[in-house]
Amino acid sequence: MRIKVKVNGVWYERDVEPRRLLVHFLRDDLGIKSVRVGCDTGHCGACTVLLDGRPVKSCNLLAVQVDGSEIITADHSDDLMERLKRAFHERHALQCGYCTSGMLMASYALLRERPRPTEEEIREGISGVLCRCTGYQNIVEAVRSAGP
Amino acid sequence: MRHVGRPLARLEDYHLLYGQARYVDDIELPGMLHAGFVRSPYAHARVRRVDASEASSMPGVVAVFTPQSGKPFDFAPGGKVRYQGEAVAMVVAADRYALYDALERVYVDYEPLPAVVDPIKAMEPGAPLVDESLGTNVSHREKYASGDVERALASSDRLVEEELSTGRVVPSAMEPHGVVAAHDGRTLLIYDSTQKPHVVRREVARSLDVPLAAVRVVQPDVGGAFGSKIQVYPEEVRVAAAAMALRRPVKWIATRSEDFKVTTYGRGLVLRYKAGFTRDGVLKAVKGEVIADAGAYDWFGFDLASTAATMLPGAYKVVDLDVDAVSVLTNKPPLGPYRGAGRPEATLFIERIMDLIADETGLDPVEVRRRNLVPAGPYDNPLGLHYDSGEYLAGLERGVAATGYYDLVRRAEAARAEGRVLGVGMSFYIEITTYGHEVAIVRAERDGSFTVAVGIAPHGQGDATGIAQLVADELQIPIERVRVVWGDTDVVPDGVGTDGSRSLTAGGSAAVLAARRLLDELRKAAEELLGGPATYSEGVFRSGDKSATVGEIVEAVYRGKVKAQLEAMEVYRARPTFPYGVGVVEVELDPETGIARPLLYRSYDDIGVVVNPLLAEGQIHGGALQGISQVLYEQVVYDQDGSLATPNFAFYHVPKAVEAPRYEPHFAETPHRSDHPTGTKGVGEAPTVASAAATIRALEDAIRRAAGRRVRLRSTPVTPEEIYRLIHGGA
Repeated sequence: MRIKVKVNGVWYERDVEPRRLLVHFLRDDLGIKSVRVGCDTGHCGACTVLLDGRPVKSCNLLAVQVDGSEIITADHSDDLMERLKRAFHERHALQCGYCTSGMLMASYALLRERPRPTEEEIREGISGVLCRCTGYQNIVEAVRSAGP
Repeated sequence: MRHVGRPLARLEDYHLLYGQARYVDDIELPGMLHAGFVRSPYAHARVRRVDASEASSMPGVVAVFTPQSGKPFDFAPGGKVRYQGEAVAMVVAADRYALYDALERVYVDYEPLPAVVDPIKAMEPGAPLVDESLGTNVSHREKYASGDVERALASSDRLVEEELSTGRVVPSAMEPHGVVAAHDGRTLLIYDSTQKPHVVRREVARSLDVPLAAVRVVQPDVGGAFGSKIQVYPEEVRVAAAAMALRRPVKWIATRSEDFKVTTYGRGLVLRYKAGFTRDGVLKAVKGEVIADAGAYDWFGFDLASTAATMLPGAYKVVDLDVDAVSVLTNKPPLGPYRGAGRPEATLFIERIMDLIADETGLDPVEVRRRNLVPAGPYDNPLGLHYDSGEYLAGLERGVAATGYYDLVRRAEAARAEGRVLGVGMSFYIEITTYGHEVAIVRAERDGSFTVAVGIAPHGQGDATGIAQLVADELQIPIERVRVVWGDTDVVPDGVGTDGSRSLTAGGSAAVLAARRLLDELRKAAEELLGGPATYSEGVFRSGDKSATVGEIVEAVYRGKVKAQLEAMEVYRARPTFPYGVGVVEVELDPETGIARPLLYRSYDDIGVVVNPLLAEGQIHGGALQGISQVLYEQVVYDQDGSLATPNFAFYHVPKAVEAPRYEPHFAETPHRSDHPTGTKGVGEAPTVASAAATIRALEDAIRRAAGRRVRLRSTPVTPEEIYRLIHGGA
């Protein structure tokens, strides 16, 4: 099937097999490797992207389901994303880095919705993404400090 | 301009944040094929026949390797599979989707055999044998003994006999296992998600009978490991062999569910013991055996049992000991190192014994430890380990004060009035880190900057930043002028890699000594150029009123004005060193559901010199959650046939942000240095060692408050069901 998707501000038109997962479309067809695969059950959140502004797990969607939609990945750059990345760096909110794209997307979506979240809201907001390295505290602090 | 001791943000972050990370699945090579494995649904079965004819003729399929393909495709050795998920065939296809279609079309005729799942039952006569050629499932047994345990038991006031166990856990690095191999006719190039590139190189060269010089292993970004990427798995060798056989690059990336079948599991140790103690709370003797549920192949089972056995006395004075380390084969994936690898188990065991003494004598748990601790190191542990340095008794006092243990105990008591059930547990730990050799090469560049290549293979810990700090201080230059490279067998000839909390200590010491050696070499050249004895400071050699920068000397060498080595290599052999400290955990329990949540982890650690507190604290945070999670969240369940009932993240619980505590680490203000040039002792595993033992005590404390009576917890994990039953009774 032929689909047309806007990713990080650029329109792409591609033929895809109906069974192709969105995460494979992004990684293998478009070469956007920052979207990562950490599981096969929708639990780890490493593949989290924004679909029309909402965080989704791209391993839980078929590419054909996003025809005509707009997707943002961690490669997207704006003031909020820059603040987040700087805060992740300064607060040591990443170690192996594998969950980091997913964490950035979940935090970005949260901060767009609620610029001054409480600690509890941050923890809830990033709980769709698993991190095995950091114990989460530095991520929570980075997200808090990245607000306006 | 000193860098050591400062909380510098990592030099490793930029590419990870800005879309330039390269994990093994991100690597695409021209003509690359995708490999996958057909895996046994049975935990124990004879493999009668593997029929790949249908799969071989499917679109996109390039090759299928079966047991008939010969080494290294000798799947199902001895004609049988020994655990659920053991590979029986390998398919190579043009793309991932064709690959997974074809994996379904390889037909295997199995004859299921009775499986043995429990290591204790596996030791009983008549148990099914995992490896018939051994005639037993006990793969290895060794005794560690000192003093006269029988006499000490006989003269003890009180005796206890019980079994303690740590259930298996799945290391669950967020990046599953994977490898890419390519052979260009001269070089076998392997990109591997590993902790040990040089060990992979040796293993592949040996297995495929190619010269070591013809194998290059690159460690790309690795998405966590925690010990699970220490083993060189058969898959890594087979992917390399397929790349050579097919003359095409081949990639294998495990799915998460496949990772649960492939990876080594952690913990899985049992202590069966008898102990004696005095009515004053002094431990007199321990007699027992540490049994490792080694899985189908004893890759690490014995090592883990032996580490746990020899570390069992901890920093306590008990000398009458008789501990067997036993590894037992079972029809499960092989056991392997997992963050702490034997020390969290040893600490959990001995701290459970200390807590039992406290409960049996009515003494305060801190007081029991005070009465048993060796005052200070150096100390020769009766089972043969030499503890290098530390003030264990004073460390206990400082740790209890720094963590505010008694304040937390009072808070838990006070919370009763608000209808909340809190529990607090503390542990004292000592652990062994660092072993083996490590290699570093420091090179002087034309502009006076330095490149440092190391054989350690960090993957998130931040060792490159730590080593840059150490080398910058050694050379008295800004850290911006030091670049650290690693993870490529072409840049250093050998190395052990990253595990055992050894990287900054062994790798950093090698780098510091190499830098020192290079400076001596450059000094000789400087003295020749300047015509007299030269001193060095901050990148400049001075002799009388003449001076030359490092860059000028390098230039002079290239111009042939003077001879000097511009690179120095250090092979450093690192002896073990022993961090120690106190961990305190606070949990909150919902008595209606039995669900417990960790609220707080506080620690006091003497890890020697703290090179970078920001990164050391990061290790404490993550390591603590892994230890806490082992007790509260993570449970591996097999059915009686050895079928894994928790085969992926849908069933196996890795904690989320809402399930994690706050962490408040403290490091010793006056640390006891190791005698390594870095003075460091290692921090990667200390929090995991300390936190599991403290968590199980905190749970016991909370359950006691909820139930109104004392309970004894003997195994991890402790499930909500178990907690509920302990509070409310019932079978």
